[in-house]
Amino acid sequence: MKVLLPKRNLHLLLEALDHRMEVVAPIRAEGVPVFASWRGQPLALASNPLIPPQEFLLPQRDVLFRYVQDCGRYTFEKVSAKPRLIFGIRPCDLKAVAVLDRIFGKDPLDNPYFDRRRSTVLVGLNCLWPEPGCSCAAFGAGPEVDELSDLQLTDLGKNYLVETGSPAGVLILREHPEFFIEASEKDQAEKKKALRIAGEKLRGGTSPSVIKAAIEKADWDALGRQCLRCGGCTFVCPICHCFTIIDVGVPDGERLRCRDTCILSGFSRMTSGVNPRKSQGERLRNWFLDKFEYIPENIGLLGCVGCGRCSRSCLAEIDRQKLEVLR
Amino acid sequence: MNDYIPWQAEIVDIDIESPNTYLISLKPLEDVDFSYKPGQFVMVSVFGLGECPISITSSPTREALQLCVRRAGRITSGIMDSRVGDVLGIRGPCGNGFPLERMKRDILIAGGGSGFATLRSLINYIVDRRSDFGEVAVAYGARTTRDLYFMQEYKSWQQSGVEVGITVDIGDESWKGNVGLVTSLMDKFRLPPGSAAICGPPVMINAVASKLMERGFDHSEIYVSMERHMKCGVGKCEHCNIGPYHTCQDGPVFSYDKVKSVL
Repeated sequence: MKVLLPKRNLHLLLEALDHRMEVVAPIRAEGVPVFASWRGQPLALASNPLIPPQEFLLPQRDVLFRYVQDCGRYTFEKVSAKPRLIFGIRPCDLKAVAVLDRIFGKDPLDNPYFDRRRSTVLVGLNCLWPEPGCSCAAFGAGPEVDELSDLQLTDLGKNYLVETGSPAGVLILREHPEFFIEASEKDQAEKKKALRIAGEKLRGGTSPSVIKAAIEKADWDALGRQCLRCGGCTFVCPICHCFTIIDVGVPDGERLRCRDTCILSGFSRMTSGVNPRKSQGERLRNWFLDKFEYIPENIGLLGCVGCGRCSRSCLAEIDRQKLEVLR
Repeated sequence: MNDYIPWQAEIVDIDIESPNTYLISLKPLEDVDFSYKPGQFVMVSVFGLGECPISITSSPTREALQLCVRRAGRITSGIMDSRVGDVLGIRGPCGNGFPLERMKRDILIAGGGSGFATLRSLINYIVDRRSDFGEVAVAYGARTTRDLYFMQEYKSWQQSGVEVGITVDIGDESWKGNVGLVTSLMDKFRLPPGSAAICGPPVMINAVASKLMERGFDHSEIYVSMERHMKCGVGKCEHCNIGPYHTCQDGPVFSYDKVKSVL
């Protein structure tokens, strides 16, 4: 199905949807765009937020279950996911969701992840405004949404062209016909043109083969010395999903899954003190190899979508495309 | 499908193997479908402290589920401070275990330190299914005589025709046995080249493996049980990766050729 959503109707549509699910959308908080629970604020769609929407699939604090003790025996309570709609996800982040789906879907399937995933409606936004450092096209992750989203939007100036990608998307159009108007062949042609221009802007960026070659040649000791060990690159990555599990509460409490990062030294260190990845260089190398070799070997998709967030956030200015120290 | 929710098992017996190592016997409180292979492990919960991987020390041929726990950190201390009648949470079995269906009939088992705990499962399995196996030899080394595990069982292993060699790094006046490295025991064995199962510190694994390869063992027939930091036990959290492998899912048992670069 293809229809047009006049831009003046967007807020009305989100308000209508907000009655039956939490709407998450890019808004401005302290001056920067972030994906957050939408309460009618103006949308911030001009640039992709630095923190990816994956936060709503793998939250920083994820309650796996509650344990309740009675006379030395325990009962467990599962926490069910609430319905949610994430509006304005770019193609790169949607592709990253596809990667996470395969990682968490690999046997044994991760139920807490899929509980949340299945109750999440994804509304994609075709990316007409690539930024410096973006290289989704070479990674097969943009600028056009090609999978997964329940609804896909393309900004055509006055209107959004809305295309359905799933029965959940069709349902939204059927339940709220008052907000949409008919789309024509002309709108489709306009979309193609806009995406072609976006594609041209993305030309000349990095590619998986460039990074793979750089991994081979990189001086990991030097990169390890340069790295400030902040973990920033891993927390802004839409595919990074390392986590730790902790208990909070005695005798009753919660078992929590919290985001963790493989580039910090404690991540692989065993209780004995032995650490299989001793140096920061080895840990950085493992991070790159995971994305460009290990994840592809395990699930058949690259572990990088070329969103460029890791490079943008690197305080040590490590050029992640050339794997060189810049200063 | 995986919910991360453990089942509960009651501690029914605690044996002291060494001053800092207990052998804990468990009985599931619920009717759980729990069958396992030697070499697999479970994720053990002490609610409020957390969860950690512990190798299964008992053999599936015997009734009791036993875990050998050494006081190492917060959670293992929590397990060891538990008493008979207390419950632990269990998820699993996790991991692949030893590939008994692929392994040859002649097997050398070499353990160093607490790594021997997981090998006891395999040894008792072999003892209970003795006719399925050929020549079997066990080489085990600990730091001191006080650190030797399962001393009361060596005789029964020998009686079933398993060759048993024990060594310690530091002997004492009561110790009449071998003093030295695990490899020093292996010269005495008459074992033909077959399969091997090793668990212990990396230095020891490498020393045993090279000795075995000198004796004609193929590196793909030498199976090593690896230790890694683990959190989820189901191949998602990425703590335990060895290259593309998740130790908790693809391991902990790997053939030596797959892991020798990280040993």
